[in-house]
Amino acid sequence: MNSDEIKTRLTKVFRDIFDTPALELRDDMTADDIEDWDSLTHVDLIVEVEKEFKIKLSTGEVRKMKNVGDFITLIGSKVS
Amino acid sequence: MNPNKTINLDYRRLVRISKGLDVSSHPQQIRIALLSDAATQQFVPVLKALLHENGIGASFYEGPFDAIELETINPASGLYQFKPDFVILLNATQALRSRYYSHGLEAEFERIPRTWNAIQSSSLCRVIQCNFPLPYERPFGQFDLKLQNSFYTAVQSLNSHLATLVKDQGNVLLCDLESVASDLGRRNWFDDRLWDMCKTFCALDHLPAAAQAMVDLVLASLGRVVKCVILDLDNTLWGGVVGDLGYAGVEIAAHGDGEAFYRFQQFLLSLKNRGILLAVCSKNDLSNAVAVFESNPNMVLKRADITVFMANWENKADNIRQIRDTLQIGFDSMVFLDDNPFERNLVRNFLPDVIVPELPEDPADYISAISSLNLFEVTAFSREDVARSALYKEEADRREAQNSFTDINEFLKSLEMRAAIARFQEEEITRIEQLFLRSNQFNLTTHRYSAAECRALMNNKQGCIPLQISLQDRFGAHGLISIVVAWPQADTLFISDWLMSCRVLGRGVEQYVMNHVFATARELGLKTVSGDYLPTAKNAMVKDFWQRFGFEHAGGTSWRRPVAAYQDIPVHITELAPELAAH
Repeated sequence: MNSDEIKTRLTKVFRDIFDTPALELRDDMTADDIEDWDSLTHVDLIVEVEKEFKIKLSTGEVRKMKNVGDFITLIGSKVS
Repeated sequence: MNPNKTINLDYRRLVRISKGLDVSSHPQQIRIALLSDAATQQFVPVLKALLHENGIGASFYEGPFDAIELETINPASGLYQFKPDFVILLNATQALRSRYYSHGLEAEFERIPRTWNAIQSSSLCRVIQCNFPLPYERPFGQFDLKLQNSFYTAVQSLNSHLATLVKDQGNVLLCDLESVASDLGRRNWFDDRLWDMCKTFCALDHLPAAAQAMVDLVLASLGRVVKCVILDLDNTLWGGVVGDLGYAGVEIAAHGDGEAFYRFQQFLLSLKNRGILLAVCSKNDLSNAVAVFESNPNMVLKRADITVFMANWENKADNIRQIRDTLQIGFDSMVFLDDNPFERNLVRNFLPDVIVPELPEDPADYISAISSLNLFEVTAFSREDVARSALYKEEADRREAQNSFTDINEFLKSLEMRAAIARFQEEEITRIEQLFLRSNQFNLTTHRYSAAECRALMNNKQGCIPLQISLQDRFGAHGLISIVVAWPQADTLFISDWLMSCRVLGRGVEQYVMNHVFATARELGLKTVSGDYLPTAKNAMVKDFWQRFGFEHAGGTSWRRPVAAYQDIPVHITELAPELAAH
């Protein structure tokens, strides 16, 4: 799966979780850029991503993620 | 209760529903306070959405994280300012774990009931205490069970300790999260990563199951309980068609071909023994159908276990309407079980309030399918529950006797009725609470008092007169069948509550009680008796109640009648000393 494909599917998850159908993801996006992105929706996000990509993320991996770009890289390393 | 009991417990779906959800239009509004040593921000929207789907608008108070004791001990806390109807105490196994490893669990055995007592000394709300899903770690393997104080066995004993304690706490309900977790599987239930990241007490996917367990308790507390299970016969209660096979030929046996049906009947019998009425609704010739109950020795259910028996060729919706008329209970308190999808859909279509669960193809799966819906939640269990089927049977005998009289007065006289009116008594509190919860039709104000509130009325020192009325006749004892709560206020005796079981309609009980009410007002030197009628979807039966007793409309919902002009209404009921009121 290439990173564009991952981004498309990740966008779908983000739009659902944050309830914003027009949301467009950028690699440098962080929790500061999305209003409802707090520690709790973060967990919702992780769990949905795990389901969408059929992967499992560890607590450490989740902690290390700083922005959407890190998220895409991490997913890429798990699905390949 | 939600009649579409095939509940969809999808976490994301419920979160989406609750976003921006306005529940203020539901006629039934409740206030729930949630205190927890876990994070509850994800849980509350789920709870709110599930209650909404059951027609209940809930507003929430979420206590500060891990402040259960502080909130409950301080009478000025946010908890009490919120004035909750329910307090949910959600203690997480994960939080318990860290306390266990630092100083053991002994303190918990005292601490948890202490919070109940603290709440009850400041509020009359109901307390819902969650028990603890058992942890998966067992340092000694299976040998753990031989140890008194491994974490696993300590949680086990804490759970059974809580279960023992709540037996004497009518106002505390135990939410069996351990059973929910073990049903789903402990390994799926816990997600330790979520606990580490944000103190979520179980996997997100299972938050709805936890919430549903609490919703079931809330619904039962609000009086939404199943009172009757209506059963099809062929291929539901036994295998095969009795019209073809005869009473001896149908499949029903303790072993072999009919075992699934045998087991199902045992399950139904346990429901009947706990106070749920069983009725039959079957397309059959009556004599063929009855013959199986009377003559097939393998039947677990006997004819006497069935309160209403409808076997004919009319459509099932009409038959269920008749069952309702006979039993005088609402459609929404009935469950209809039928193996035939056509009949299920027909009943769903014509009687949308009746609860019609899907039944699996294989009768071996009936019990597990029905149990998974948790249809039979209840908050108390009283003598009347055990005797309920018998009470309805006596009622049928009375009706038969009635048919032999042409004059209703002669009939009433022949019943030799005796009634006892007394203040609320401690040993009847369970039944009193239940009557407040279960009475919908003959109920003038439909206040749903908890056991604690009933007890508060009983102990009220401000002049409150809380009356319980029991009745018996020559066919047997009806038990406690009516409640009236009266308050002397200035120059009037104000009736805040008047309700009666529909089983004793048309006997003159309300007339007998009204005579008593006016006598009381007169003794107290009060000038009038007054009361309210608060209409609900179900209590139209008493909309003319005050008028029929000569009360004048006094504006709004209230009615009033002077004491001076009142003359006792003749009745065929004599006084029974309260201590002789049969139990």
